[in-house]
Parts: sequence; C-alpha cells; structure tokens
Amino acid sequence: MNAEEQETIFRRWLNDHLGLMLKLVRAGAATPEDQDDLFQEVLVNVWSSIRAFRGEARETTWIYRVAFNTTMAWRRGEWRRRRGHERFLKFDVSPQLQPSHLDSLPEREMVERLYAAIRQLPKVDASLALMHLDGLSYQEMAEVLGISENYIGVKLNRIRKQLADQLKGANDEL
Amino acid sequence: MNFEELQKAWQSQDPGAKVLINADGLLNEVRRNQQQFRMTIFWRDVREVGVAFLLTVLFLYLGVRHHDWTDAVLALACFGIGTFMVVDRLLQRRKQPASSDSLKTCIEGSLLQVNHQIWLLKNVLWWYLMPLTAALGISIGHSVWRTPNPGFPALMVGVISALFVALVYWGIYRLNQYAVRKSLEPRRQELETLLAGLDQ
Repeated sequence: MNAEEQETIFRRWLNDHLGLMLKLVRAGAATPEDQDDLFQEVLVNVWSSIRAFRGEARETTWIYRVAFNTTMAWRRGEWRRRRGHERFLKFDVSPQLQPSHLDSLPEREMVERLYAAIRQLPKVDASLALMHLDGLSYQEMAEVLGISENYIGVKLNRIRKQLADQLKGANDEL
Repeated sequence: MNFEELQKAWQSQDPGAKVLINADGLLNEVRRNQQQFRMTIFWRDVREVGVAFLLTVLFLYLGVRHHDWTDAVLALACFGIGTFMVVDRLLQRRKQPASSDSLKTCIEGSLLQVNHQIWLLKNVLWWYLMPLTAALGISIGHSVWRTPNPGFPALMVGVISALFVALVYWGIYRLNQYAVRKSLEPRRQELETLLAGLDQ
C-alpha cells in the first residue's frame, strides 16, 4: 500500500467512523484535555494500522481494536509531555460529542451519566459496555477482545447490573 | 428507560453536529507525530548503542597507540554490551504487538515486553555493570602494577579511582531499580489486572 492509498483510507475512516472514535475517546478520558490527548493517540495508531488492514475484519471492528488498545496503553498527560506541554490541536477539533439529535433533555442527561458510569468501570468492562451499547454482536465483541463468545454473555450481564447500580434512581428498568 | 431505549439514545448521538475537522491539518499532525515518535526511538537507540560502539573504537585506538592490552579488554567489554543491546532490541522488536491485534493479544504482548524490561533492569549488574567493572578493574590494577615502585600515592590513586567507579555504578544500579519499582512494576500490575479482567 502506498502513502496515497493510506491517506485516502484514513480520510474515509475519519469521515465514516469519527463518531465511533470520539465516543470511545470520551468514554476513555474525562477532561477535554485528556480527551484531546487520547484522540490524537488513537488517530496516530489508526493511521499506522492502515497498512496492516487487509479487509478481513470489518472496519468498525478494526477501529474498536485500535482504539481500545490505545486506551489501555494511554497515560494521562503523556502526549502533552511528549509535545512539551503544547496543545496538539491547533485546528478546530474538539472531541466533544454533542447529543444534539437526542429527543429530550432526560435522554441527554442519561447519556451524559452513562459516559460517567462507563468511565467508572474497569477498562475491559468499559470496552464491552461500549460495544454492547453500539449494538455489536457477541462474535464481533469476542473478536475485538480476543476471548470466547461464551464469556461475553456472562460478562455483559454483570456489566449491565453494574451500570444499573451506578445509574440507579435515574433508570430503574435497566 | 430500559436498556434498549438507552441503547437507542446512545446510538443517536451525533458526532458531526459540532465537530469540525480540518482533515489536511489533522493528517499532517498525525504524520508529523509518527515521524517524531520514530525519531525519538531512533535517537534513543543511537545514544545507548552508539556510545557503546564509539567507546569500543576509542579504546581500540588507545590500545593500539599506547600498546596497552588493557584498553583492548575495555573495548571488548563495550563491544559486548553494545552487541547485547542491539540483539535484544531486534528480538524484542519482532515480538512487539500491533495496535490492531485483539485486546487480549495486545495486553499479553505488552506484558511480555514489560516483563522483559524488568528482567533487563534487574539484571543490569550482569550484562552492563559487571563487564565494565571487570574491564576497568583490570585496567586500573594493571596501571598500578606497572608503576615503578608503586608507593602509597600510586596505591591511593588506584583506590580512589576504584571507589569513584564503584560509586558511579552503584548510582546506575539504584537508578535502574528505582525505574523498575516506580514505573515498570505498576505497569505490570496494571496489565495483569487487565488480563485477569478478560479471563474472569
């Protein structure tokens, strides 16, 4: 794959999967500065991974893998330290998802609370929760995490319960 | 709100509404950062391995010039350390996990690397300090031995040199052990927890 093809794929992925990347970033880091850091780290790894992409996995599954692996290895403030405390983004990008299409204020608040609850989960469980919320199949989740499908169901039950506990009061039906 | 409704709300978040992406600028930054990262790794290797090989050449030159075989011993020690570092880097590079591997493979790969790093630093005495100490000991001992009528001053110079070297090496050893405790052990623990989280 030459540099031009790599760039074309990167632009397309950025266009098609930006929402997914931003959701994962927002769930992985709490403050805007940290989200900014993590977002850059994810993008660099997505860019580097393109040459290894053979189309055997779905693009979304691939991006989940790269983003999760990046989040697991990511250290708060590392990027800023590497960049000498300089803000990386000089252009107008802010990884803030705006739940603007959500119908009502309670729904928006619920999504906000959900992000906060996911950040409280252990990292592996948070990864599963995100994929579950995005509607991935057990097979896809198993593929991303590298564990058997049997585990997924058991783990998801536990995670749903944990999330329900954290969102208690706001959502009794989970 | 039940889970399905929550899921629906989650999926209807719109990322494009307020996010403006300057794709060209972003691409340039990503490229620049990847290059910068590669250069950082490259210069780290040059610094660590390059110094060892540079000293090898320097001691060989001094040995030939002064007809002193102890310089050849020092050169050999430096060459051995440099070679060890190169071989180790090459072997480890092959085992590096890709960011597109499954999470479990990636964590296992990272754990292997951290364990290896811990092994290296814990054993810095054997592959780095000991060869140099032995070579320097031979060199200093030989210098004192060759001094005609080695009286008290010559002995003192030898002892002070040996003490200075020992102090520097002790510092290097402590620094390495501090790095293991402060950064590598917690990282290993973190990775083990993640792995356990996948297996539970």
